[in-house]
Amino acid sequence: MANIALEINDISKSFFGVYVITDISFKLEKGNILGLIGENGAGKSTLVNIVGGIHQVDKGNMKLFGKLYAPKTPRDALEKHISFVHQELNLFPNLSIADNIFIEKYPGGSVIKHSEMKKRTSEMLKWVDLDISPSTLIEKLSPGQRQLVEIVKCMRINPDIIIFDEPTTSLASKETERLFKLIKKLKSEGKTIIYISHILTDIKKITDDLVVLMDGKITDSGKTDDFSINRMIKSMLGRDIMGRKYPDKINKSDEEVVLKVENLSEPGIIRNINFELHKGEILGLFGLMGSGRTELTRVLFGIDPYKEGNIYIHGKKENKLSPEKSIKNKIGFVTENRNEEGLLLEGNVAENISLVSLPNYSSKILKFINTNKQKESINEIIERLKIKIGSTEKQLVRSLSGGNQQKIVIAKWLMNKPSIFFIDEPTRGIDVGVKYELYCILNKLADSGASILVVSSEIEELVGICDRILIMSKGEISSEFKNREFDNEMILTAAFKQKSML
Amino acid sequence: MASIEKPLNKLIKLVHVDSFLRMFLSQYFILILSILIFLVMWPVNPNIASPRALMNILENLLPLFIIAIGQMYVLIIGDGGIDLSQPSIIGMTSVIGAIFLTNSVNELKLGSSVLWGTLLGPDGGPFANSPLATPVAILIMIIIGVLIGSINGFCIAKFKMPPFMVTLVTKELFLYIAIWLTQSFNITGLPDSFIEIGRGSIWTIPYVLIIAAVMGVIASIILKRTVLGKWLYATGINSRTARVSGVPTNRVIIFAYAFSGFCCAVGSIIYSGRLLQGSPTLCRAMLLDIIGATVIGGTSMFGGRGRVSGVLIGCLFFALMGTVLNLLRLSPFIINMVKGLFILTVALLDVIRLRRSES
Amino acid sequence: MHKRKYLMIFLENIPIFLCLAIFLIFSILTPKFLSIGNLLDILTAVAYVGILAVGMTFVIITGGIDLSVGSVVYLSSLIPALLIRDSALSVPIALIICLLVGAAIGAINAFFIVKMKMIPFLVTLCTMVGSRGLAIFLCNSQVVKFPREITNLSIGKIMGIPLPIIFLAVVVAIAFFIQEKTPIGRQIYAIGNNIEVARKAGINTERVAAFAYIICGIFAALGGIMSVFQMGGVINASAGEGAEFQAIAAVVLGGASLSGGIGSVFPGTLLGAIIIKLLNVGLIYLGTDMYFQNIISALIILLAVFIDSLKTSYIYKLGRKNIRIEEQK
Repeated sequence: MANIALEINDISKSFFGVYVITDISFKLEKGNILGLIGENGAGKSTLVNIVGGIHQVDKGNMKLFGKLYAPKTPRDALEKHISFVHQELNLFPNLSIADNIFIEKYPGGSVIKHSEMKKRTSEMLKWVDLDISPSTLIEKLSPGQRQLVEIVKCMRINPDIIIFDEPTTSLASKETERLFKLIKKLKSEGKTIIYISHILTDIKKITDDLVVLMDGKITDSGKTDDFSINRMIKSMLGRDIMGRKYPDKINKSDEEVVLKVENLSEPGIIRNINFELHKGEILGLFGLMGSGRTELTRVLFGIDPYKEGNIYIHGKKENKLSPEKSIKNKIGFVTENRNEEGLLLEGNVAENISLVSLPNYSSKILKFINTNKQKESINEIIERLKIKIGSTEKQLVRSLSGGNQQKIVIAKWLMNKPSIFFIDEPTRGIDVGVKYELYCILNKLADSGASILVVSSEIEELVGICDRILIMSKGEISSEFKNREFDNEMILTAAFKQKSML
Repeated sequence: MASIEKPLNKLIKLVHVDSFLRMFLSQYFILILSILIFLVMWPVNPNIASPRALMNILENLLPLFIIAIGQMYVLIIGDGGIDLSQPSIIGMTSVIGAIFLTNSVNELKLGSSVLWGTLLGPDGGPFANSPLATPVAILIMIIIGVLIGSINGFCIAKFKMPPFMVTLVTKELFLYIAIWLTQSFNITGLPDSFIEIGRGSIWTIPYVLIIAAVMGVIASIILKRTVLGKWLYATGINSRTARVSGVPTNRVIIFAYAFSGFCCAVGSIIYSGRLLQGSPTLCRAMLLDIIGATVIGGTSMFGGRGRVSGVLIGCLFFALMGTVLNLLRLSPFIINMVKGLFILTVALLDVIRLRRSES
Repeated sequence: MHKRKYLMIFLENIPIFLCLAIFLIFSILTPKFLSIGNLLDILTAVAYVGILAVGMTFVIITGGIDLSVGSVVYLSSLIPALLIRDSALSVPIALIICLLVGAAIGAINAFFIVKMKMIPFLVTLCTMVGSRGLAIFLCNSQVVKFPREITNLSIGKIMGIPLPIIFLAVVVAIAFFIQEKTPIGRQIYAIGNNIEVARKAGINTERVAAFAYIICGIFAALGGIMSVFQMGGVINASAGEGAEFQAIAAVVLGGASLSGGIGSVFPGTLLGAIIIKLLNVGLIYLGTDMYFQNIISALIILLAVFIDSLKTSYIYKLGRKNIRIEEQK
């Protein structure tokens, strides 16, 4: 019987009454590298956060080397020799490498023994082949170097289990190679590793076993060698499509180009973006996390700057973009983070819905608001979008469901009658029934002549509602699938294909 | 997360009925409290009901109200918004206005001022004894107030400097400039037409009351009925959402601070008139009252909330409390302590309210 | 590429450049400035604000602020004075009580800011007002004096160096030790940079933040002792007034960032305090109007805050999530 390092038994976890993972069970052998794959929101992060002590389980338990393991804080996990290399590195840029490694437990107790600290840090840096002085400030390091420091930090507690969460998103190819060498070295020293990544080719390269999550449940598992990329994709996405409906698309989009993007670049973010958006078209933009799709949309709307390239809106070249200008050009933008940038959570429904179109309901000079006309329009749009609320004035948006909140953001932009509409992650955090309603809303919008750019990390959603799909990867557009001739397999393979290493 | 927020959570649970909390924070509570204080003090010290004491309360209340409206606008836009420089804007505008108004200047005192020989002479300022003096002075005072406010707003909006630090520094800076201009002396010799504004009345209605009423109504209308008002609240509730939704947040922030400067200028007109002098340290100790009145009146320090009527009630409360504590012959420092305690309590309730709605 | 490097070097070492610049300018304009006597005088004068600023540094590194230090100066020197006068307390015990008062006010600040999660500047504004009120209440608005033996200490010298300077050096050394050689001193930088990450790293963020405010209070009390020396043993109602502004200015001029995570007791804040005094004294030597000096000081501070904000937004821009790594410089 192989030595089982970590045993996960029937774990379930919910947030605000919604189950994020259900009945997860698997065993992790000591000295193995386990790959954990799944779409955004499949539950991978929640699961490892439970192992790392950040969340507590609702049901089920864990066993660490045979003993019951229930960490209440990250500190507990650290004490049980479980290390976590997060995707967002937990380093302090204003402190040195040595400080970052020992910040929680300095050698020497109440007076820091600097020489010992420096010595130990140097040894650890040598182990990862990082030839840098221990007193270098983190802010001076490249992302790859920072990640190595993060790993070194984990090594300080002499971990038995190390969890890597999307470690290569910020790494250049050379640095990724270096990381893999290091992981193999860790394995040879008897460490057990959990490796989360959406880069399936990497998973094939480095993991021994594989667990696939979809919608919070395990859909497949086994030895990595037994998995083809296709099998991985199918297990990640092969959900019951019968449950998901998409509205029929009847209209055909015009040839008229409403938005044209030429050679758009912002160093480090996007490069050489070229595409056109036609009148009445629903264009999909697919990319995994870190592909630059959200960044591109923000640049197009005018929130973030760009260095090179041209943007033509309704045929006219636009230079200094800004949200105000975009709104005047009748462009709408539903951002991916409605809580931070889409909603006024402490405000009521009327305040939220009326925000963008305020100037439209006001007199020219003194800007008095015509409340009656505005109220009418608000009520009309609430009906149209089927938003279920009581009083528009008394209901605070904070207490509404995710679906209703998203509808309110959409309503806010529709009040300005946009001709171009960007929507990023339209159905994130929304239940199935409302998703269909949202697809219908988008469909109707396109029918009425508006042009929509849908950004999403859910490929079937895009396949379901778009006329065309662009695939983005590493800041560039890598492929395009036209005119509803979508071959799921082809798209998915293209989407998950990453620029190969070496 | 639970282990870290225990005491705050305990306190939140104590105040566990929503309506209970809403009652405490509502402006009507403060109004009732004010009336209660009045009623309690009446038997103890009948003087409080005398016309003189009531006039005293009104006189303290109205100019404070005008200035507090400006502070409210700045608090509404959130993101740490605060205007600590208000007392100095009042002092600065007071001094500059007086320079233009004065018709006789004491050489012994102001002879060493840099303005002596240029703008100031033994016969007063450039508009000494001219019928234009008062209107010109008022105009200049307002311009200076708006200008200083705009400087504050610009530093905060464009350069993203922290509001409390910027206004703390401009508070000192303009105080020093005003003191330097007058060599720390007050400027006397103000024309009657100017003094009338602060002290006089028309048909037994004091000018102050008219000015305060007009300002209050305008400020309230802007907030409730105009696009700008909605923009102010939106910026305060969530400036990122506001920005994406097309609100010109930078301009809104600059406006709020400029408006605060404007209110200070108007308040300065009244206070300078009452003092009969232009003084660089006019209202220097008033910051606590201004912030207190605004906060107690229901304006949240976190932004997004605030009403003119609330500020009025807050001013009433503070003016009343000040008068009562004065009648009790308490030292001004003790009075300040009590005021500080009230502000702390209200701020604490504000934090609780925010944390409650977040959970 | 090199331009950016030199810019960063410049931005990181502004206090030193500024100090040197001011020193050079005044030395050229008024040669008298360079005398040793003058420099010692400046350092002696620095002691008061310097000590306050050193304590304030810890709080500002955590991203907070403490407006109550001026009032703590008053209260913490008043209470021992009253006890000595009324109950013939011995000097060492009086000293301990002075520090305890500072720690107590710091603890009150810490409670409301850390445990109740209130806004630092508002809380410390209230404790500022409250402490001063309490002090005035305790002494009935009268002036209180310290006995001769204590005031004589202010004129004393060791090896030709005035005692206040030695005191300042010792205080700075202690603060520097805390900052560099104790875990909690390093953790202050961590919570100032990113409190969430600090929590995840297992740091007890509440304890660290509370420590910063209490230390600030204690150092303010030490500053109170210094202020007693400077005022000739007399404590009146204006003791410590405005000191908080000078202290904050010194910290900001010394390169600390108001957004937290950056700053240093030495050389940073000490240089900041020296810069302020150099300016003051230099302007006096130039014969400028006393009131004009204050204007220049305030403008310099405004400039420092401006530069700090520039630095912060520059760092923010650099830290934006990067996708095309190969294009990174």
